[in-house]
Formats: sequence, structure tokens, C-alpha cells
Amino acid sequence: MNEPVIQVENLSFSYNGNPVLIDVSFSINEKEFVALIGPNGGGKTTLIKLLIGILKPRKGQIRIMGKTPDQVTGQIGYVPQDISINKSFPISVMDVVLMGRLPFNRWTGLSKKDTEAALAALKSMDMLDMRHRKIDDLSGGQRERAFIARALATDPKILFLDEPTANIDSRGRGELYGILKELNKTKTIVVVSHDTMVLSSYVTAVACVNKDVHYHDDAEITEEMLEMGYHQCPVEIIAHGIPHRILKTHGK
Amino acid sequence: MIEALQFEFMRNAIIAGCFASLICGVIGTFVVVNRLVFLAGGIAHASYGGIGLAFFFGIPYMLGTLGFSLLAAMIMTAVALKSKHRADTFIGIIWAVGMATGIILLDKTPGYNVNLMSYLFGSILAVPNSDLWWMLGLSIITVLSAAFLYRDLLAISYDDEFARLRGVSVNLIYFLFIGLIAVSIVIIIRVVGLILVIALLTIPPYIAEKYSRSLFMMMALSSILAVLFNLTGLMLAYTYNLTSGATIILVAAAGFFLSMGMDALLKKKQVDIE
Repeated sequence: MNEPVIQVENLSFSYNGNPVLIDVSFSINEKEFVALIGPNGGGKTTLIKLLIGILKPRKGQIRIMGKTPDQVTGQIGYVPQDISINKSFPISVMDVVLMGRLPFNRWTGLSKKDTEAALAALKSMDMLDMRHRKIDDLSGGQRERAFIARALATDPKILFLDEPTANIDSRGRGELYGILKELNKTKTIVVVSHDTMVLSSYVTAVACVNKDVHYHDDAEITEEMLEMGYHQCPVEIIAHGIPHRILKTHGK
Repeated sequence: MIEALQFEFMRNAIIAGCFASLICGVIGTFVVVNRLVFLAGGIAHASYGGIGLAFFFGIPYMLGTLGFSLLAAMIMTAVALKSKHRADTFIGIIWAVGMATGIILLDKTPGYNVNLMSYLFGSILAVPNSDLWWMLGLSIITVLSAAFLYRDLLAISYDDEFARLRGVSVNLIYFLFIGLIAVSIVIIIRVVGLILVIALLTIPPYIAEKYSRSLFMMMALSSILAVLFNLTGLMLAYTYNLTSGATIILVAAAGFFLSMGMDALLKKKQVDIE
């Protein structure tokens, strides 16, 4: 059977004394496709940053394939939120993807292996022709694929994506989830998203993150889960196209 | 203009301008893409404290100024890394304290009177040969360091969080990089003055950024632009007997507004076609 590749036990984290995650425990099995849903400020991005080791837990522990996140960085692919990146920066798609191969030997520079891995990652995202373009000139969907290629440059076992569809139109969203589904054949995928309706046809599990984490080994996103994940901010549910009956429940 | 080249001071001014352009093109590119213009300005102004220190205690100019600026730069960097949202305030304070310290120390230095103007606008027409050697050495160090750390600097400038995730020692490289800025600024200030340093660090890279597909291209393009501004400014200053530093800055500023105007026209044309 599938082994858990991510194990989180009694994890707590706070920013400047404000608790963001409180006593969170869950585990994710190999080759799951997990959606993290929940209100803004509920701790989704924080949870991802803890899982990949950029942030350190205040309490509790995280095991990625039995080790701490720092010990397995090569196995972790990370696609950050698009908005966190400086848009006008003069950098080519190829150079962005090569970042996935860091750190380089400073004396010898890029190796042939690095270049080949970057090219292969670009090819798998159907972005090979775009490699000399400036990243700023790409569309939202193309840029996202370039960032996924960067995350894939080390051929990781687990891929974390933070709101990959935020700047993509609805057709592009379907395409992107299709790509992720394909990657899911060989990799575990954890994605933060508000596209609850689209997502439900792709994911194998859903985690509702709102200070605590409720993990559901079930592809279906139910009213109850949305209630749990979003109960603090019903406006968001309207904005993201959730059926009206849920809204009625909120109105009571 | 050609006959001006027979004067050694003019030849030195041209060489100094070219070196300053090269250093500013490389370092300025990182300053602009990392949005560190304010920090660079802070280092430049705070270094005045180092000048005061050097004269007051009678220690060599380079030693006093370099030491003081590096210290100021490291404090600013530490604050910037620790509390990003308050960094500008601290930089502003160190900026002012450095200048004030320099002025008080010079007040108290017996028999010495350094002209603040020459420090602000430099004296590119009075560059001694010894300073050219300093600049040559610094240019080599700057270009080699930038080449050596190119991929790391590119990564931390573009997406420092991802660089950290991939195991790059972001903080160490950041300190090295700010140190490099400080050293460059101090040595160039002596030649062209601190206002020209800031102008050369920012205007050419800003123009170049729009036309560049890579940092390397941006560095090359901004170095070329800086040389162009320098030489044009020098020529005008010589012909019309103007203050050289200020003329160079105004030429650069003219280039800046010209590029903005051209962009606006191009954009309008594109809209018309569509």
C-alpha cells in the first residue's frame, strides 16, 4: 500500500504571537492529489512554507519521507504564488527554470546536466519554444507553466503549488489541472486553491485549513467541508462560484 | 573637443568616467532590480561620516571612509533583513547621522576645510593618476565578483525565498553584495561625487531594464549608456565651461526623460494599430 510521504504531528505556528496554525496533525500518502482550501489568512500558504522548510515549526514536527524538509530539498518542488514575484525583472524563461537546479558550482558554473534537466522540464511543460522569452512577456498560464518547470528541474517526488491558477482564465485553469493530473501519475501533489468546483474532479483528498486542518481522504468537496473551511468569510464563497444552496446554509 | 584630449586631466576624466560607468552598470543593475536605490543613497551619504573620521583622526582617507561606509552598510543590511518594513526608516536615520557626524568632525578638525560641494558633485576633471589605479582595481574586483556570484545574485534578486529553499546562503550573499556596493560607492564618490554616483547607479539601469531580457544584457546596456552620458556630459561641460558632475547628471536625466517619452509614443502607436 501507499506509504505516507508527508506526516505532520501537533504542528503549531504563529507570526508575532498571532497563532496561524494550532496543533495540526495529518498525513498525506504517496501519489495523492491534495487540495488545500480555506479562507485567506487561514494558514494555507504558511502550512506550505512549513512543509517545504522555508518556515520552521514553533511546535510539533514535520516529516517528509521520514526526514525533515531541509534534508530532502531535492525531492520537494515548490511553485510560489505568482504575486510574490517581481514582474518587471529582466530574466529569461530558461534562467528562471535553471534556478530550480541551484546551487551551482561557482567555479565551473552551469553543468551540462543542469542545462539538460532544465530543457527536459521545459519540454514536459510544453514550453521549450518559449525558453528565450522574457518571463514578463508571457501570459499568466505560460508563466505558471514556467514556474512548474522550475519546480520540476530536480525531478521532485512531491510538488507544492500555492494558488497556481490565480492569474489564469477558466479555460487555462482546466488545462493546468490537466497537467497536474498527468504529473500526479508519478508525484504527490499538494495545491492551494480556491477553485473548489473545478478541483473536485481532479483531487484525491481535500484538506480544509483554517488555523486547524481537517483532512478528508475523499475527492468530493462537500458542503460540510466548505462550511468548515470557509465559515469565517462567506463573501469569499460567492466570489468563487459556489452554489447558492451553500449560501443559504450560511444565511441561517 | 579633440584638442581637449591633449590635456592629461581630460584624458583622466574620460578614463575615470568609463571605469565609473562600468562599475555603476554592473552594481547599479543589482541595485535597481532589488529596489535598493534608497539603501545605496544611504551608504553614499553616510560615508561622509567616514571622511570626517579620516580627517579628524589623521588616518588615511580610504581606510576611514571604507571602514565607516562598510559598517553603515552592514547595519542597514542587518536591519533590512530583520525587519523589512522598517528598513527605510533606519536607512534614513543612518544616512542623516553619517552626514552630521562627518560635518561635526570636520568642524573640529584643526586647520582643515573640506569643501562639501566637491564631495557632492566630485571633481572628475581633477582625477589624479593614483585614483585611476584604484578604479581599475575596483572595476576588476566588481566584474569578477559579479561573474563569480552571477547565478546566486540572479536567484536572490529574482526570488530569494526559492533560492533559500534550494540551499543558497541568501544572507551571506546579500551581505557580500551590499559590501560590494559600499566599496564601489566610496571609491567612485572620490572621483565623481555622491550625487553623480546615485545618478549613474540608477538612471542607466532603469532605462536598460526595459530593453533587456537578462541581467547580463541589462548590465552591458547600462554600462554603455553610462559611458555615453559621461562623455556627452564631459564634452558639453568642456565646451560651455559648466560644472562637469552636474552636466553629466543632466545629460543622464535627459536620456531618462527621452526614453520615457519614447515608450509613451510607442505604446500609443501600438494602441492605434490595434
